[in-house]
Amino acid sequence: MSGDYHDDDHAHPSAFGPHDWDHGAPHNSWSPIIMAVGIGIFLYTFASVYSWGERVDSSAIPLVFLGLLIIFTGLIIWWRQDYTFDGSYEPKSTGAPFRNIEIRKVAMWVFLMSEMMVFTSLFSTYMRYRFGIASCENVWASGSWIVNSQTVSTGEAVNCFEPASTLIASSMWHIAPGAINTFALIISSFTIVQALRWAKKPFGSVDEEIRRKRVYRYLGSTWILAIIFLILKMTEWFIGFYVPEIGFLNIEEHDIVSLVDEGYTIHANHYHPHHGWEDTAIADYWTQAKIAENGDLYSAYLANMESLGPSYVTTDAVMLADIRVSTSTFYVTTGTHGAHVFIGIIGLTYMTWKAWMGKYTPQNAVSIEYFGLYWHFVDLVWVLVFPFFYLY
Amino acid sequence: MSDHLLLGKYDLYWANFFGLMFLTAIEVAAVGSEFNDRTTLFILVTIAIPKFIMIAAIFMHLWGDKDSKILTLTALFPAFFIIVMVLFIGLTHPEATTGLPEWCRPGYYNL
Repeated sequence: MSGDYHDDDHAHPSAFGPHDWDHGAPHNSWSPIIMAVGIGIFLYTFASVYSWGERVDSSAIPLVFLGLLIIFTGLIIWWRQDYTFDGSYEPKSTGAPFRNIEIRKVAMWVFLMSEMMVFTSLFSTYMRYRFGIASCENVWASGSWIVNSQTVSTGEAVNCFEPASTLIASSMWHIAPGAINTFALIISSFTIVQALRWAKKPFGSVDEEIRRKRVYRYLGSTWILAIIFLILKMTEWFIGFYVPEIGFLNIEEHDIVSLVDEGYTIHANHYHPHHGWEDTAIADYWTQAKIAENGDLYSAYLANMESLGPSYVTTDAVMLADIRVSTSTFYVTTGTHGAHVFIGIIGLTYMTWKAWMGKYTPQNAVSIEYFGLYWHFVDLVWVLVFPFFYLY
Repeated sequence: MSDHLLLGKYDLYWANFFGLMFLTAIEVAAVGSEFNDRTTLFILVTIAIPKFIMIAAIFMHLWGDKDSKILTLTALFPAFFIIVMVLFIGLTHPEATTGLPEWCRPGYYNL
């Protein structure tokens, strides 16, 4: 739209902002290129610092911070240019099939399409592995691990699928962080829609001070809910939490152990099956009823015990599992989703501040709508992640 | 969706919000009820689909707006592509998961 400039107009917008929106859409922002360079440096150097969660090369750490600094610089340029956006210029697409739809809206949907591609890849990977690899529960119940000597005493592990829900859905306390997060995201989807609604109310239909307060409060609420989401995610993954004694509910004092402390990690190639399997392998599974059903396996088990001697009885009752495929699919999918929430928090921080300054009007409220599309998409993904990674 | 009203009197966003909260509560309760795996999966899928549609259609304005149709097709295109790929390539290869070569298993690249 450079043709919108008049011949006598010398106030060209700066590539580093702020823009002069009255003179048409500027095409010369350096922000995307700067941010792309920063993200590239950050990802490349960050990947060389850590390997399997352990720090292996500290020399790249300054470059990690350099990458972050460049990203931050790109963000500041972007925000400076957006801050003055008054909605006077919202270009529309002219070509099929998006004719007459706002270009930024189309761009956001095309971006979401690529995001959809990312997450459907992760889901299909999970689905394929989940149905293609025998679950650890079934392997354990079959007793084949005893026949194959895949126990603590031999150090050999069974390759099986251990869904995170085995740990997370083991009690309502374990589910609590994920369940609260689900409600938090749904509420946040609602709050951002309300922010848009108040920002779009026509001039004169609402007091401007009330509009300013409503918009920044709804956006601020969304920000707080997103922070809660990530805190609970960290609690669930790394920290765990303490449950005090609650007498009238008959709840005893206990700790909810984090997934990492349970040994549910991406390098768990000798995973001690969760607590339910260890001390019940003999007492629970090898009951008289099971002996009748699985006579051959039980004979093999007894023969194995006799040859190894009584000292192996305990360790032979503990199956070892290689669950790296299951943990990788879980952490990569939920982690990718968490990264999207984090990026949303960065955007919300700016938008809440802009709303606080009273800069959202019916003309430029579409910015909230476009960010809202991203945020609803994050919620949408969680609607599928929560049941299939946390509950099932 | 210019008037944001459902059945002429209920606020669409509020109705959608309460509906989503209600469905999520059922979802969590279903898992707490310790049904067998198949029943649980059935309940979770049955609830996830309407939740997905409610968010996409109402919060993301894919229903009722003049440009809803083309934007819905835009969003669904990659999902369709990948699902077809998984169903017709992934699931028809029985050893796709268990017979993975060493170079595409975790730990091979020491990453």
